[in-house]
Amino acid sequence: MSESPPRFPATRCADCGHLYGHEAYICRECGSETFAEAPLDGTGTVYARTTIRVPGSDQQGEEPFEVAVVDVGGEETVRVTARLEENPELGPDDPVEFVDRRDGVFYFRAA
Amino acid sequence: MNDVCVVGTGTTEFGVREEGIVELGVTAVGRALRSCDVDREDVDALYLGNFVAGMLEGQETLAPLVADSVGLVGVPTMKTEGACASSGIAFRQAYQAIRTGIHDVVVVTGVERMTSAETSEFTRALGSAADHGTDGATGLTFPGFYGLVLDRYMHEYGATREQVAAVSVKNRRNGASNPRARFRSPVTVEDVVDSRLVADPLRLYDCCPAADGAAAVVLASADVADSYTDAPIPVLGSGHATGRSAAYRYDDLTTLEATTLAAEEAYDEANISPSDVDVVELHDCFSAAEIGDSEDLGFFEKGEGAAAVAEGRTAVDGELPINPSGGLLAKGHPVGATGIGQIYEVCLQLLGEHENQVDGAEVGLAHNLGGSGAVSTVTVLGGPSRV
Ligand SMILES: [Zn+2]
Repeated sequence: MSESPPRFPATRCADCGHLYGHEAYICRECGSETFAEAPLDGTGTVYARTTIRVPGSDQQGEEPFEVAVVDVGGEETVRVTARLEENPELGPDDPVEFVDRRDGVFYFRAA
Repeated sequence: MNDVCVVGTGTTEFGVREEGIVELGVTAVGRALRSCDVDREDVDALYLGNFVAGMLEGQETLAPLVADSVGLVGVPTMKTEGACASSGIAFRQAYQAIRTGIHDVVVVTGVERMTSAETSEFTRALGSAADHGTDGATGLTFPGFYGLVLDRYMHEYGATREQVAAVSVKNRRNGASNPRARFRSPVTVEDVVDSRLVADPLRLYDCCPAADGAAAVVLASADVADSYTDAPIPVLGSGHATGRSAAYRYDDLTTLEATTLAAEEAYDEANISPSDVDVVELHDCFSAAEIGDSEDLGFFEKGEGAAAVAEGRTAVDGELPINPSGGLLAKGHPVGATGIGQIYEVCLQLLGEHENQVDGAEVGLAHNLGGSGAVSTVTVLGGPSRV
């Protein structure tokens, strides 16, 4: 168990309060264009995971790497598509924690 | 509302083709027109589904180009795009135009040419069907998307790797006797589970091959259909729906709601339930996709699709034959041609002319899916006696 992970940079619709992990351009719930920062607890769990061994053109040479759908947050959670730092053992329902966001991609590691 | 029938069909073989994109489309359309008594003067419009000709071939404006090349100058044309569902959408648009009385006869085609592209260009083009800003930025590929789906599916329902491999075994066996298929050799469960990992837990033989090819149908209003053919195939129902465009957008990755919603619309219009379907061509771009599709289309309870395949219930001689053509896993996946290619195979079944004929097939279903479950079309077709 590591020290408490960095907060996760979620946003919240300023009008209806709906939470977003990935950016939204307008709120899917109410149509608002106004969002506020709403950092969440950086702990989470894996929902599903895969290891990419045949990458697309923009990730040539990075393989193998792991991509997962992660539920992040504490009382409130958001679901995001993210990279996992190398750990092929991780699978559904395993705990992970937020590392950082680089080039627009969320990174998590085993908690 | 007018009833709508398929009155003509044509296709090329799917596989590695030498022909250019226009020649492929023209060949399929020409064969569809020659298969029935439709004169070119009777054709009111041509709709064409295609995904990556602009990126891979530098060739756009395909719908008017194909129309002009088959002698259909003057009619309205359009191209539809929805990744792997591109020509399912073209079919849907033509169907609606006839159903609402705008047109009487419409030619629909799907065309794609993929195998001659450089690998980097090919993967970039296919990757364009994902959301670049979210899934795409992580490097998630389409095998990767279905790797996530299968990872969650196996976790929730306890399906085994061997059960999932049975999809590829069945479809490759079916494809061996389909002259339109790219892969004509069978594989075993061991071959599948020993093939190299592509996107865990998906392996190479869980993935469909790219292909070149084109397919076409001629659609006509039911009141004029019998002047073009003795065996019109009625379209009993059609559905078209949008789902989620990225993996994180799903509450449940084992159900792709574009399919469930399109199926519900098609079943309602056809006034049938899934148990009335005799033969199915569904979107098996990956083995995991066939299992999920078979549940989303209502043929099996959630979590039972994998066991059903392994038990032979979806074989050509099973209770519900799925992909007797060999599906995308054996026919290959010329992305924009796939939807009409599936409808072509279902029409052969309903005419009693398929190489892997399902005895007594009276109701057939074709299911086309594009992107990360982003868009789906479902078409229910009936035998000629149901006009
Ligand atoms: Zn809102």
